[in-house]
Amino acid sequence: MVELAIHTRGVGKAFGSHTAVSDFDLDVPRGTIYGLLGPNGSGKTTMIRMIMGILLPDRGRIEIFGAPSDFRSRRRVGYLPEERGVYEKMRVLDQLVFLGEIRGVDRSLARARASQWLERLSLAGWAGRKVQDLSKGMQQKVQFIATVLHDPDLLILDEPFSGLDPINQEVLEAIVRDEQDRGKTILFSTHLMEQAERLCERVCLISRSRKVLDGDLKTLRREERSGVVSVEFDGDGSWLAVPWVESTSMVGDGVHVTLVEGTDPMRLLGAALEGGVQLRRFEMVEPSLREIFVRHAGAGTESSAPLEAAS
Amino acid sequence: MKPVWTVARREFLERVRSRGFIIGTVALPLVALILMGSSAALGSRGQQARRNLAVVDFTGYLAERVQAGLESSGYQVEVLPRDGLDGLDGRVTDGEFFGYLLLDDLTIEEGAAVFRGKEPLGTVSEGLVRATIVQSALAARLSGSGDGTDAEALLRGGSLEFESTSGDSTAEDLRAATIAGFVGAMLLYMSMLVYGTFVMRSVLEEKRNRVVEVVISSIRPWQLMLGKILGVGAVGLAQMTIWAVAFLLILLLALPNLVAFWPVLEELGDMGRFVPGVGTVALFGAYFLLGYFLYSSLFAAVGAICTREEEAQQVQFPIIMLLVFPLILQTSAIEGNGFPWLDWAAVFPFFSPILMFPRAVAGVVPGWMVALSIALMILALVATAWIAGRIYRVGILMQGKRPTLPQILRWVREAD
Repeated sequence: MVELAIHTRGVGKAFGSHTAVSDFDLDVPRGTIYGLLGPNGSGKTTMIRMIMGILLPDRGRIEIFGAPSDFRSRRRVGYLPEERGVYEKMRVLDQLVFLGEIRGVDRSLARARASQWLERLSLAGWAGRKVQDLSKGMQQKVQFIATVLHDPDLLILDEPFSGLDPINQEVLEAIVRDEQDRGKTILFSTHLMEQAERLCERVCLISRSRKVLDGDLKTLRREERSGVVSVEFDGDGSWLAVPWVESTSMVGDGVHVTLVEGTDPMRLLGAALEGGVQLRRFEMVEPSLREIFVRHAGAGTESSAPLEAAS
Repeated sequence: MKPVWTVARREFLERVRSRGFIIGTVALPLVALILMGSSAALGSRGQQARRNLAVVDFTGYLAERVQAGLESSGYQVEVLPRDGLDGLDGRVTDGEFFGYLLLDDLTIEEGAAVFRGKEPLGTVSEGLVRATIVQSALAARLSGSGDGTDAEALLRGGSLEFESTSGDSTAEDLRAATIAGFVGAMLLYMSMLVYGTFVMRSVLEEKRNRVVEVVISSIRPWQLMLGKILGVGAVGLAQMTIWAVAFLLILLLALPNLVAFWPVLEELGDMGRFVPGVGTVALFGAYFLLGYFLYSSLFAAVGAICTREEEAQQVQFPIIMLLVFPLILQTSAIEGNGFPWLDWAAVFPFFSPILMFPRAVAGVVPGWMVALSIALMILALVATAWIAGRIYRVGILMQGKRPTLPQILRWVREAD
């Protein structure tokens, strides 16, 4: 049995007449990087805040490492809220040491770890400065350090990459992968599909307060293959004029061939051989996360809560 | 308890290190001390030259009285014979005297005299000199009647001796106790208000910058609230200790100088009387701690239900009233203990620091009432902390619209 870092069943939350999260089941296996994806306002943050005990769910139950979400189990969690929570007037190092101590790290250890992290995120020169003197991006890095300072087994990061420049996004992604290598579990929310594609092993797609789809990213994409084959070949394309090819489109040097539903892609390979075409590439096109999302959440989702374009 | 200390430590250190604290606590008394000391030192040097006067008396019997009167006020007075006038202006120019007084028959009749000098006497000095001359003239005329009248004593304003019917405490002791009690009550009022507001602001800040969401996922709300109150309370104690030491230093160092400079101050009596005794300090400490905890938990609850500072200004109004009302009562009662029911109002826990402390110090209420007020305050503190803690716990994670009173009552009722 795979041990679960987070396990929720039937979680629901409403604010007045607005349903923020509805009947939500979430299973985050230990040691994975798990993406919580959805447009703004779809309920990601509400879900995370309920896992962190900031909001109480109206119904359902939430477990962290097999125990109810309480002070004891939440000590094993590092939480980075979406809204940046820092004491603006406090010095960077003092702030980190305080937030470490609050989570039960010994003061001198917290100081040593904070210094190491500041070094790693190239903020060492800012340790003695007040947080308000730092740029937004630097503040965000400081806050990230505060999240990992007590070496938690589970990281819950709410939109951790927003507001960071590409270089720092990469730094942070590398750290997240590092933490996974050290056996940690990472759950993060994002509305940037491309980023989730790069980073996650497992994803959960949310739309309009409901879970749309979840599971292993590779499996999902394989299952979601839609009969599009990318081919590159020498010669003319007349061999593609067969009834079971729905449409073709030029993409770069090649052609994307959309097959009529239910057609075995191997038939296309056969047709190429019969037509004596010199094939240079033959590849099943896997749909992007964005395509999968749109397919499952429906077009209505996009118009009511548009997906934001990736940077 | 460890998280409580971590929170308290942060609260204390961050405040003590802030510029505002350093200026308010250390620099102000220091500057005051330096100003007083230096002005006294400068004054005694510079003023000494201005206090060198000569008197030329044409009446023949006023000079000694004027001289005695002025010298008792710290002047140096030389009485010159009538022919001393020759070349006297020159001696003033040379700086031997600051100036000289001319007394004649008109001085006896109307109290009119002339001061000749390079520049006029200072305002205070002039008043003092004029009063001395008039008193001397009156004394000279009264003592002429020859019936044993002590004209000087009469003119000094006589005396009204107080004899206590209840004990052997002197009038000065009682007056000093009343003043010390009132000053103490003012201090209690200000400290509860100021440090209580600090707690409220601190709660608001954490709510605004959302740090509370991170902190509260690691420690319990009551630990955060208690740590905050303890930390700010420690700041208050530190600040008041520093001020108390500064006050004592000023009394010890600057006062002898001041008295030497303005002998009038001596009428205030022995200043040592105003240095509070151990009992008074202990009583002050008890009322400060209980009152501060009581009010700061209320302020913490206000901070928790608000989101913006302006909002909190409104919501804290009832608490401010609770603080101001007893102060008004106490101020009105300063002349005589007017209303007997005030002694009972002083037992009401939220009024006790401001109303009971001065009564306890002045010894005008029985000891059991003081004990009762302390006991009631402890009970009130337990109840208030319980209620405020529940409001705080829910409120700090609420954003946006302020909850209504029924909603708040539901937070208090519903445990989870």
